[in-house]
Amino acid sequence: MADLFHNLILGFSVAVSPVNLMLCLIGALVGTLVGVLPGIGTIATVAMLLPITFGLPPVGALIMLAGIYYGAQYGGSTTSILVNIPGEATSVVTTLDGFQMAKQGRAGPALAIAAIGSFIAGCAATVLIAVLGAPMTKLALAFGPAEYFSLMVLGLIFAVVLAKGSVLKAIAMIALGILLSMVGADIETGAPRMSFNIPELAHGIEFATVAMGVFGFAEIIRNLDTGAEMDRDLVQQKITGLMPTRKDIMDSLPAIFRGTVLGSVLGILPGGGAVIASFAAYTFEKRISREPHKFGRGAIAGVAAPESANNAAAQTSFIPLLTLGIPPNAVMALMVGAMTIHGIQPGPQVMQKQPDLVWGMIASMWIGNLMLIIINLPLVGIWVRLLRVPYRLMFPSIVVFCAIGIYSINNSPVDVVLAGAFGLIGYWLVKHEFEPAPLLLGMVLGRLMEENLRRAMLISRGDWTVFLTRPLSAVLMAAAAALLVLAVLPTLRRRRDEVFVEG
Amino acid sequence: MSDTPSERPPQSIMPKWIRGPQDFIGGIVLIAVALFALWASSDLQGMHGFTFGPGTAPRMFAVLLLGLGAAVAITGLVSDGAPLAHYSWRGPLFVMLAIVFFALAIRPLGLVVSGFASFLISAFGTPETRWIETLIVGICLTIGCALLFPYVLGLPMPLFPRFIVQ
Repeated sequence: MADLFHNLILGFSVAVSPVNLMLCLIGALVGTLVGVLPGIGTIATVAMLLPITFGLPPVGALIMLAGIYYGAQYGGSTTSILVNIPGEATSVVTTLDGFQMAKQGRAGPALAIAAIGSFIAGCAATVLIAVLGAPMTKLALAFGPAEYFSLMVLGLIFAVVLAKGSVLKAIAMIALGILLSMVGADIETGAPRMSFNIPELAHGIEFATVAMGVFGFAEIIRNLDTGAEMDRDLVQQKITGLMPTRKDIMDSLPAIFRGTVLGSVLGILPGGGAVIASFAAYTFEKRISREPHKFGRGAIAGVAAPESANNAAAQTSFIPLLTLGIPPNAVMALMVGAMTIHGIQPGPQVMQKQPDLVWGMIASMWIGNLMLIIINLPLVGIWVRLLRVPYRLMFPSIVVFCAIGIYSINNSPVDVVLAGAFGLIGYWLVKHEFEPAPLLLGMVLGRLMEENLRRAMLISRGDWTVFLTRPLSAVLMAAAAALLVLAVLPTLRRRRDEVFVEG
Repeated sequence: MSDTPSERPPQSIMPKWIRGPQDFIGGIVLIAVALFALWASSDLQGMHGFTFGPGTAPRMFAVLLLGLGAAVAITGLVSDGAPLAHYSWRGPLFVMLAIVFFALAIRPLGLVVSGFASFLISAFGTPETRWIETLIVGICLTIGCALLFPYVLGLPMPLFPRFIVQ
């Protein structure tokens, strides 16, 4: 317990230094600014803004990135509520009630509750990370290559269950992602693999490049399909009265707490916990509500629960990254990229060797959440004005900005072309209803999976049953199998879709 | 590259026995990608006793993708599914042109020229572009980027064309 406070105090002493506070503030502001732009989700935002942190010291860079992440997420919620365009999967359910509230002229309270809910969830999740950090690091010691591999399989299956549409297609996307991660030098022998003597490919395909192509460029092309003036039914009423009423608060407080608990638990699991968290929180809230018919017609609890849940999950998803070194989602993978650039290898060692970095970042998450409340509520007017900028002017700017961003990661023109190619691939995938999210996760986990698979095979002297004979690994594999069975069962699929149908 | 956008499905009407063209073509392309990966990794060493060679895992996952692609294609054959979606050419073409131009021009011509030109090229991507406002926004954006990236963020990149600087 004493350790816990010691750690948190250490963290806050790092995070509240004026420079770091400034970085956190700038990160949150810029993140929101970019996150609000339609068609740019959290992943593309973080990928695009990654280069701006390169010149900073490691702690400052990570603090700023964390700020960008939260800002982008909040920006996504803002567009969900005001324009009915979810910035990314985690804020899809927010559109159901949030946009209805906005139509009724209650956009202010909806935005406020989203921020307040996120803040409360953030507080709880910060404490949870601090509490779980040490024991999880110990657990990590019990993890051999076989366990790591099984855990990642579980995470990938989890992502499959979450993906919309066909389970088969989602698994295919994961396999494709893993295959893409294998381009470049072999981990053990250094042999160039599938790189056709192109030096840029020999280093492997940069994750940020793929993310930007599939989520940035592809989204732009797709939006242009429907004409630049896509019917953005932006709420035209003036937003008056930001503050929620007493009744709003009474209605949403319990929802916030339930959302926080659900989100914190689900976020720890690798494989896109934040998405399932917001869905689960919404469905749960609707089920236990005394007035379920109000959901989808502007119930404030329908905004509060998923927003708190996805924020809690977003934060607790740092736990597997910091303790096991496994990035549980695409944004965390970008964080790993940033850490590697600064010479930090995420995993249990970081916790012990660089406590100021880890705890500073954890503390700054909390501060970042606080800043979002303070800066965003007064700035809502500006975000709304930004949403009124016509897309015909917005999209060329995004193209240029993305291009500069990718170029500056490695100063490599080939990366820019690659990102463009992945933009086309992403466009094709969307046209054939392949989900890009599992592809990205496969790419994120591919290298780690191969490394651990090879090690496990080496240790077991080629015995494939090792994944089932080691107890911890067997449990993880069994969980993965059970999830997969559940996913193909028709009843669960129907239930998963009903959130949308009824909404 | 293991997937090329040129493998886009034809626009023509599919024969009747393909009940879900979207899945069928999608699966076929995945099979093609998997075969391509198998070919690309065929020069790599495979299993060496019980240790993996560099080529083992790529071939393993390529075979997995092959199977999954086949399953998706078969799904498209045996069950009714969505028809092929409509592709437009204008947006993809000009956005890609802008990106490729940027990549080619950033080193010799610098950020100012390549950024501004890419902005204008991608603006061709929609017929709704109004050129006067686009020019103004493009100039502002270029100035903003020219200040932001090299000066505020300290990222090394050339600002002006090489032949002017020298």
